[in-house]
Amino acid sequence: MKFLQRFFASGTLFIWLSGGALACSLLLIGGLLLLIFINGMGYFWQKDLVQLTLKNDTRVLGEIVDTQRIPETVTADFPDGQFRIQLKVGNRDVYGLDFRWVDEADIAQRDWPKDVIAFERREWGNFYGWVTAVWDGDSPLAEGRNIAWDVWYPFLEQAESLHQEIHHIERDVIGAINADMERARLSLKTLELKGNVSQGSTDSLQQDIQKGEAAYQEQIQRLVGLYERLNRYRVTLMDVTGKEKTFPVGGLVKAWRPNSMSVWDKTKMYVKNFWNVLTDEPREANTEGGIFPAIFGTVMMVLVMSVVVVPFGVLAAVYLKEYAKQGLLTRMIRIAVNNLAGVPSIVFGVFGLGFFVYAVGGSIDQLFFSASLPNPTFGTGGMLWASLTLALMTVPVVIVATEEGLSAVPREYREGSLGLGATKFESLMRVVLPCAMPGILTGLILAVSRATGEVAPLMLTGVVKLAPALPLDGQFPFIHLDRKFMHLGFHIYDVGFQSPNVEAAKPMVYVTTLVLVLVVLLLNMTAIALRTRMRKRYAGASV
Amino acid sequence: MMEHSQNRKQMWVLGISMGLLLGWSGVMMLGASHVWANDDMEDPAWVNYAKVSGVSGNINSIGSDTLNNLMTLWAEGFRKQYPNVKIQIEGKGSSTAPPALIEGTAQLGPMSRKMKGKEIDAFESKFGYKPTAIPVAVDALAVYVNKDNSLQGLTIGQLDAVFSKTRQHGYKENLTRWGQLGLTGRFADMAISIYGRNSASGTYGFFKNVVLENGDYKDEVKEQPGSASVVQGVTEDQAGIGYSGIGYRTSGVHALPLAMKAGQPFVEATYENSTSGKYPLSRYLFVYVNKAPNQSLSPIVREFLKYVYSREGQKVVIKDGYFPISEKIIGKQSEHLK
Repeated sequence: MKFLQRFFASGTLFIWLSGGALACSLLLIGGLLLLIFINGMGYFWQKDLVQLTLKNDTRVLGEIVDTQRIPETVTADFPDGQFRIQLKVGNRDVYGLDFRWVDEADIAQRDWPKDVIAFERREWGNFYGWVTAVWDGDSPLAEGRNIAWDVWYPFLEQAESLHQEIHHIERDVIGAINADMERARLSLKTLELKGNVSQGSTDSLQQDIQKGEAAYQEQIQRLVGLYERLNRYRVTLMDVTGKEKTFPVGGLVKAWRPNSMSVWDKTKMYVKNFWNVLTDEPREANTEGGIFPAIFGTVMMVLVMSVVVVPFGVLAAVYLKEYAKQGLLTRMIRIAVNNLAGVPSIVFGVFGLGFFVYAVGGSIDQLFFSASLPNPTFGTGGMLWASLTLALMTVPVVIVATEEGLSAVPREYREGSLGLGATKFESLMRVVLPCAMPGILTGLILAVSRATGEVAPLMLTGVVKLAPALPLDGQFPFIHLDRKFMHLGFHIYDVGFQSPNVEAAKPMVYVTTLVLVLVVLLLNMTAIALRTRMRKRYAGASV
Repeated sequence: MMEHSQNRKQMWVLGISMGLLLGWSGVMMLGASHVWANDDMEDPAWVNYAKVSGVSGNINSIGSDTLNNLMTLWAEGFRKQYPNVKIQIEGKGSSTAPPALIEGTAQLGPMSRKMKGKEIDAFESKFGYKPTAIPVAVDALAVYVNKDNSLQGLTIGQLDAVFSKTRQHGYKENLTRWGQLGLTGRFADMAISIYGRNSASGTYGFFKNVVLENGDYKDEVKEQPGSASVVQGVTEDQAGIGYSGIGYRTSGVHALPLAMKAGQPFVEATYENSTSGKYPLSRYLFVYVNKAPNQSLSPIVREFLKYVYSREGQKVVIKDGYFPISEKIIGKQSEHLK
């Protein structure tokens, strides 16, 4: 009895309890990250293609993605049960589905043909098979099952550079022409609305528009030429069942022979694939290609939000802590701020939609962009409104953290500063705020972490599945805060829950999640590094 | 004792007949899992899209999430024709389309169901005319079960009794276990796990309207935020059943053939059965536009719809897993696109 009492009093139990709790949460977080990491990173590894000959003499070719025990097959003969494997067979345009389950009991033979080629296509997903003919226009360059890689692969590389040129023309050149024309059109309409249409002023604008139209037509002609070159060479591909499909080499993204690649080749390809996903634009309704616009949108939105939320939160906290008379009112305000941090994010989203988008944005359109009505400019969701909504959502965090930082500044510092003759404002700016900086940055870190992962309010205030242009580009005024944008969190939701080919899109969800976690980590690391530097500089402040 | 052996005999008969049934449905499933070749759906009467000059500007599309991918794919294709056009697509549910058209925040309102009377009235009271519905694709709303589920089909009445607590079709009992539908083995005692959509979705409305005859869904329905998550749910849950567009079919699920009434043959959700109207849950997918009578659409919207009706546009429909619409209907609609 006495022993037990002493045991409890010594606190050993408590140490075990708290240590256990920590271990548990670390285990959960570690497990989650590991799951995301393994699933996400596995996506880029090119697996070998297996050719299965089934007992009914049909053949299936694909990569094995999953193995599953068939329920209720554990018998005396099969103590472990019977299994079936899921193959990614690709060739969606031929088979209708990318995936297929095969019972292991049905398999007569497994082969790994060395010469099988995997193609990533711009449409319809991957194709697994062989090249059986190469065409220049309608005349064949080569035919048969043993066409050398060199006969057609250069065309694919050439197509890649053509695609880049087309992309450059479509986005940058035509984009610039368009922006100019749109500006001229808007000025024209503004003049018409104002009613002072004088001959000279409209003429030059009309000429601008005509010039733009001519330049546009010229670029279109260039594009037609490029597309012709892209479609000139064609390949005939054959799948494992002998069906053939012919399409332009320009429709292929890349080709590789997984079964005859060394581990080193695959590693190189792995790195390249990962890089492509980070830098490419999405294809096929976001289920293929890269996620660059989403990464860009997420980071930019968080940055715009930080620019708004830090000054706003810090000023509020400074007044509340330093100037306001402490009493019932300030206590109530503090409670209100703390409560605000707990309001569900969707409520902020609804507020953002009603106040920012409809009320403020609508009025801005009426006042400044009436020429382009009824097409809304700011009266619809966009980067600015999404950032402001998130800033509103995270401002309590910054206020609370800043207040904590301010109260941690030692009293002697203030008194010393005031004693040397500085005014209250001067000592606040020169002494107190710099010392509280680490606290402010802690607030920013928390705000950024919360904002990056938030999706619900963004869906109402400006995130879209596919944004036609980035909110930052080379056209005046360079930062387009009125544009809608893509976001990693929404991308996860969209690809995971909405994409029709959900089996093929699943790895993409993990990859996007992994990237989102990395982005949060990177943003936080930057802020933490900044905080550490501040702390060193103001060593002595006990924050 | 006598009774006991009688029972056993009955069990034997039941067992054998079930075995036969299972074998038969296995054969049926083999037949069902064949895939229709995509080329069969192409109509030679479709016309290639012809570019016109003077098309530029922005289009906003707000509406159905069933059509979200299709709209995105069309937008990708349309931008290849007109690189100077910007298309922004939001798809949060069919119910978001009418307000967006009325407010003017969108020119295109994709919907997976027809507009309700109330929505049309709201539109009409603002503009003085009705919105124009353009059918753009055919969808067969499929009822999915897990790939291990050997059920060979359902009647609409049974479907109603699975999903609804009101049973407007008058099926004799509430269906809560797979055994009630004739499944044996481990499925016999398994509770049916129901997956459905959230109420903003047009798919939810269509299913409620046609299958439930506007009755109420059971409280046990697990409402999912997207069509793909219904399919995911059924893939992971052996006892699952759920409804989603045929475009969301995967290798982990099995689309049940359906029959209108008991005794009628089960009909599969194929292209032929959907366009001929034999499949009970086929529907048109629409894009609603604001078109004043005797006035033409703005060039950009008109060309977008023409693109949708072109060979390129309808091929996209097939690519996304839906069914294209026939040349006959395209011909009928073409007066709107002048």
